[in-house]
Amino acid sequence: MSTRKASLTDQHTKNGTSKYVLERCASINEYYDIAFKVMLLGDSAVGKTCVLVRFKDGAFLGGNFIATVGIDFRNKVVDVDNLKVKLQIWDTAGQERFRSVTHAYYRDAQALLLLYDISNKPSFDNIRAWLTEIHEYAQKDVVIMLLGNKSDMAAERVVKTEEGEKLAKEYGVPFMETSAKTGVNVELAFLAIAKELKHRATQQPNEPKFQIHDYIESQKHKSGCCGL
Amino acid sequence: MERDNHQGEAQGVHISEPPSESSLPADTLVTSLSLLGNHMFPDAGEKQEEINSTADKEEPAELQQSDVALKEHSVAEPHSNQLKRLETEEAETSVDLNNVSTQSTDREKEDTAMDNDQSDSGEFVVTMLAKAKLEEQGIGVKGRSSPLLEAGTQESPAFMSHRDEDVTAESWRQHRKHVFVLSEAGKPIYSRYGSEEALSSTMGVMMALVSFVQSGDNIIRSVYSEEHTVVFLQKGPLVLVCVSSSRQSEEQLRGELLYVYYQIVSMLTQASISRIFEHKKNYDLRRLLAGSEKILDGLLNLVDSDPSFLLAAVHCLPLACSLRDSLSQILQKAITPNLVFSILIAKNQLLTIVQEKTVIEDTRLEPADVHLLLNLIGASSAFQAGEIWTPICLPLFNPDCYFYAYISYLDPPECTVCLLLLSTDKEAFYAVAECKRKIEEAMAAQNSLSLIAKAQSYSVSQVGVSDLRHFMYKPFDVPDNYRQLTQFTSPEMEAPYTSEEEKMRLLDLYRFMHSRIHSTSRPLKLIYHVAERETLLAWVTSKFELYTCFSPLVTKACAITAITKLLRWIKKEEDRLFIRYPPKYSTTPNPSKSSRGGKSDQQDTTDNGYLSLL
Repeated sequence: MSTRKASLTDQHTKNGTSKYVLERCASINEYYDIAFKVMLLGDSAVGKTCVLVRFKDGAFLGGNFIATVGIDFRNKVVDVDNLKVKLQIWDTAGQERFRSVTHAYYRDAQALLLLYDISNKPSFDNIRAWLTEIHEYAQKDVVIMLLGNKSDMAAERVVKTEEGEKLAKEYGVPFMETSAKTGVNVELAFLAIAKELKHRATQQPNEPKFQIHDYIESQKHKSGCCGL
Repeated sequence: MERDNHQGEAQGVHISEPPSESSLPADTLVTSLSLLGNHMFPDAGEKQEEINSTADKEEPAELQQSDVALKEHSVAEPHSNQLKRLETEEAETSVDLNNVSTQSTDREKEDTAMDNDQSDSGEFVVTMLAKAKLEEQGIGVKGRSSPLLEAGTQESPAFMSHRDEDVTAESWRQHRKHVFVLSEAGKPIYSRYGSEEALSSTMGVMMALVSFVQSGDNIIRSVYSEEHTVVFLQKGPLVLVCVSSSRQSEEQLRGELLYVYYQIVSMLTQASISRIFEHKKNYDLRRLLAGSEKILDGLLNLVDSDPSFLLAAVHCLPLACSLRDSLSQILQKAITPNLVFSILIAKNQLLTIVQEKTVIEDTRLEPADVHLLLNLIGASSAFQAGEIWTPICLPLFNPDCYFYAYISYLDPPECTVCLLLLSTDKEAFYAVAECKRKIEEAMAAQNSLSLIAKAQSYSVSQVGVSDLRHFMYKPFDVPDNYRQLTQFTSPEMEAPYTSEEEKMRLLDLYRFMHSRIHSTSRPLKLIYHVAERETLLAWVTSKFELYTCFSPLVTKACAITAITKLLRWIKKEEDRLFIRYPPKYSTTPNPSKSSRGGKSDQQDTTDNGYLSLL
């Protein structure tokens, strides 16, 4: 393992992308080969923390809404093509008063999951404003994915799936609807991000580019109603 | 002596316009008051009827006729005279503990009697206020609090948010303590129970009261009714109102409102709040406070249940001196530039705190700031696996600038030991997180976590005094006091104070003792108070403040011997009970970067972008 890690490190130093790789992994945490920073964004109460907890612990935080304070940093190691990928996930507070601290860490993120709530129109309308902010503060080549969360709440739905798709197309970002409650597409969202980042980081010149859109489309159909 | 005192009070009440002018505004105020009354205490009339039906019939008249109101005042006076006399005697004779032992034996009956008839001393003052006699002062010494009926039930429907409460329901009115925050434009910002929208007219009336009194170049401080005390606090563009049936003193309630204000400042900074309202008087501050209702709710629950707030002191977990020192050393070694405070907390109590040398030279860390930090941690600990990085202002340290707090639990999934690192640098997350790794490694090497897990609060039985049930001891003579955080020590509450109701009853007794000791008009040094089910003794000297609770059958001589023993025991144990010499480190190479008054802070408050949101 360690030799593989060393070779990876070398390779990326050459490519000038060494920032993707942490030089050492913390002894307490799980072993990993490569690490990426992912940030969850979106209005307050769209379910960012719930999506993260569903992905990380496979649980759903029902009951009371508890607002995230500031930004909350968590790790999860996933397997991507036999490589241990550590996702360092920033869960952010949606409230305005935390924007300044969120802004300070935008540029560190290699991927952004932008969430809205399908039962809350303003949270969808704000997506454009979020994308403007992203263009202002984030890295130029950041991976963005749009997620319409709370897809289990069919009765309360006010944002059609097509509307989400249309907006995503306009900005050229992948899109899917998720449910932290049922788990639908949550793991897929993070895995697609992990795959995309891993391919970007380890891609050989002759290797075909990873198509995140195609991957999502192919997986989404398989997932059905019970998640992956 | 008491004559003087009453003249003083009368003057306080009389700061107002000449009588000829006062009649008209008084009517307006009466209308406002009755509007407020209709909503807040629609049952007040009925209650009064139960106790005194004639008073009930007179009430409308009193509100409008100043001479009746005066009479009402003079009726209340002899009673409070009596109280004052009692207090004076106590104050004069009880400075020395030894003297008291002989003299105050016979007074204990009086004290008890006094408590019994205090129950009807509550009603007055609404009438005085109606006379536009402003700048109220709580003259009546409030009696013992009635046992808390509501606190227990309040916790049971945990899933129903207080926001969803029906504000017209009787149960809403029955809450022991309401707290409202509104802007000067009368916009609701926070209500402890019920949604702010539903209460906007009530808050409008509150604001009408405040501005009416303000228009006469005066400040409304409180309104007393039979059942409730209404306390007002104006801080900058915010108005805070407490409506309490807890029988706490006005000063105590105002102190609690101040904590609420500080908690709001801790989230937004004072500078931002004033700037926002300078730009837009009717700004809806809830936009910026969204999501923080839980923090304010949590604060108010803590204020009710944790004596730290009453005593304005921090409670630290008893720990062997050597273990505390080794933990301090671990924190001292894990530093990074601009780190200013490293705090280790277990079971919501302090384990140790290390402070930056130059920062602490300028100012000291106030207990209230620590309380706000502890509340923030408690309120945001629903899922504790992560590492949190959040801006936080310490209002007493500097109300206008932000610190950045790194919060992480060291023992997931139990999450009892929490590390809190405060930096002045917004960008320092990774550096500070690295400090945590170092601390974690060092603690693992020394097996600190399992040692901390064994630490617990102590039982009063360890003191070895049979009649002593509970106490709170706050020393003033800690070494290095100038830089020291005020602390207090207190054992676990044990039988009979195990149920929530009983715990609250004991705290209410302590609050009563505290209000007598710290009374603005007649501060006392020593009170021996025989209550129905226990006997309390409170004693304040230049070296400490002490509240003790004994079984009801204790004799005065016994209590005094017990206190001597207790003080001796605390002296012997003080290295374990308190953080004796708070350690320091030096992390700011450039003192001007310290959080106090440096240019960098100014940026911190301005670049928050609130203004662009207006």
